[in-house]
Amino acid sequence: MTRVLRTLAAGVVTAVTWAADLAYACPSCASPLEENRQAFVDTTVFLTVVPLMMMGGFVWWLRRRIRALEDVPEITVPESLLRDAGPFSKGP
Amino acid sequence: MPDDALGRPFGVPARREPVLPNGVLGMLIFVATEVMFFSGLISAFVIGKSNAIGGWPPPGQPRLPIEETALNTVALLASGVALYFANRAFKNDSPNTKRLLLLSIALGGFFVLFQGAEWVALIGEGLTITSGQLGGFFYLLVGTHALHVAAGFLILLYTYRRLSHDDLDRFTFWPAQIFWYFVVGVWPILYWQVYL
Repeated sequence: MTRVLRTLAAGVVTAVTWAADLAYACPSCASPLEENRQAFVDTTVFLTVVPLMMMGGFVWWLRRRIRALEDVPEITVPESLLRDAGPFSKGP
Repeated sequence: MPDDALGRPFGVPARREPVLPNGVLGMLIFVATEVMFFSGLISAFVIGKSNAIGGWPPPGQPRLPIEETALNTVALLASGVALYFANRAFKNDSPNTKRLLLLSIALGGFFVLFQGAEWVALIGEGLTITSGQLGGFFYLLVGTHALHVAAGFLILLYTYRRLSHDDLDRFTFWPAQIFWYFVVGVWPILYWQVYL
């Protein structure tokens, strides 16, 4: 980006920041209705907990799956060898 | 060359199954964004409902068909259960897989058609997307879900086609299931919030 463009961009950002007014994005925050305020709190909690639960659930599931896959032997061995492995034998 | 109990040749390093196949990872990320999308819609609805003057549902607006939709909810949940058993049958190479998958698709199709009929009746009673807050929220939430059901229905049809051609592997079936379970799982929450 050239120097002129950079200066222009900085000027536009400054002008927009200067001209911006307050944004009332939350109609419930200052509501006199108790039910409305409670709904706002409930949805805030809900929207906070849901992604955390998703991430936690994913990590838990991934850990379980890795452990399950680790149980599969990497190199194949004859069934008879597994059967004759003494106390570690899986045979009768 | 002799094989081991799993049919693999001796001495050759076993090819390990991927921890997370690409299709599954992609679908999980997509479903996570969808969960947040629906969470946002439901949150907006809850705030809008609590903000309504004169109580909810607003007076003078048609009532939503609670009992009929309860039946439709059961159909969608049954579709999810049928898919679960279809997957079990698929793992066991059972010939029931096709039948169960078809049952799941049919129940999903029933849900979409039933909802279409419900919408026609509601529009006839005067509930449109511009008739008020109830209509606006109803068609936004339920309509968005209906679009997802239609998409899931097509995905399941594609899966069935692959199965019919003996071309279905579990890494294709798995993401399809994740999407359908999401569609089925989110509906009872919408039903509880919007209809009850």
